[in-house]
Amino acid sequence: MSTDRRSSQVHVEDLAVGDELPVVVRNASRVQLFLYSAATWNPHRIHYDTDYARFEGHPDIIVHGPLQGAWLSQYVTDWAGPAGRVKGLRWQNRASALPERDYEFRGIVRGIEGTTVTLDVWEQTPDGQVLMPGEAEVVLPSRVDR
Amino acid sequence: MRAVPTDSLIPAETAARVGELVAGPTTATITAEGAQRYAQAVGDLNPVYFDEEAARSAGYRTLTVPPTYVAYALVKGRPLDAIGVDGLFVGERPITLDVGRIMFGGEEWDFLEPAHVGDTVVAETRLAAIDQKDGSKGPFVRITRETTYTRVPDGAVVARTRQIGIAR
Repeated sequence: MSTDRRSSQVHVEDLAVGDELPVVVRNASRVQLFLYSAATWNPHRIHYDTDYARFEGHPDIIVHGPLQGAWLSQYVTDWAGPAGRVKGLRWQNRASALPERDYEFRGIVRGIEGTTVTLDVWEQTPDGQVLMPGEAEVVLPSRVDR
Repeated sequence: MRAVPTDSLIPAETAARVGELVAGPTTATITAEGAQRYAQAVGDLNPVYFDEEAARSAGYRTLTVPPTYVAYALVKGRPLDAIGVDGLFVGERPITLDVGRIMFGGEEWDFLEPAHVGDTVVAETRLAAIDQKDGSKGPFVRITRETTYTRVPDGAVVARTRQIGIAR
């Protein structure tokens, strides 16, 4: 999240399979959920109407699956730095996330081929329940001419 | 057409629609205002979305946008009477299933070209797959809609996404 990480560019030579990405914690306020609904023209009541969300069986209003996907995308683009390019991103929304709670974004380097790095990335609760497993392919700059 | 068992949650007329265009073609031009509102709502203040110079020095030809934003740049406003009781817009060409509710199950994106402010993009969504599966909480239906985002006029595919819905 800090500008420091964006200004320091990761290069493919800096990495080894098994390296862990720094953990980033996200926590959505109710206002953020409302604003995300507005910015994406999404009127689904489960994201702002607590009574209706309970009627559908949720404990509270829930965080949009695609907002968690956007957080995952940001997690990868922030890590990749300004010269990195995310080429692929897949995720599964397995369980609902709630506002005003901390969720951790984590990742690990799974493969390196040329300048393409494959990552396992996921969102979990602080006690380790994975809400959203995912994978990303990122092209990173190299310190050598290829 | 493949045989559908009698306890199927997928009506035969729905199963027959795999491959069909279910939304679009829709055209929109990506604006800085729309992309920046999205980035702010996500909490992603990456300078390449806000500062032209930062975008150029990162190798973009002008301001770029959050990669997943392209899907929302293409969302068209709809009138209030197109909204159902759950608050969801009733689809233009709705996919009928014998289920209670549909949850967002995830997404698979291929980003082929960076999208930039000022790009005009056409979106077309096809029903890519519809399968019934047995889960721990009973049978469910996995619906995959694939959307292709094509830049005009040059025809370059900017991104593709397979959006997965879980219906039970």
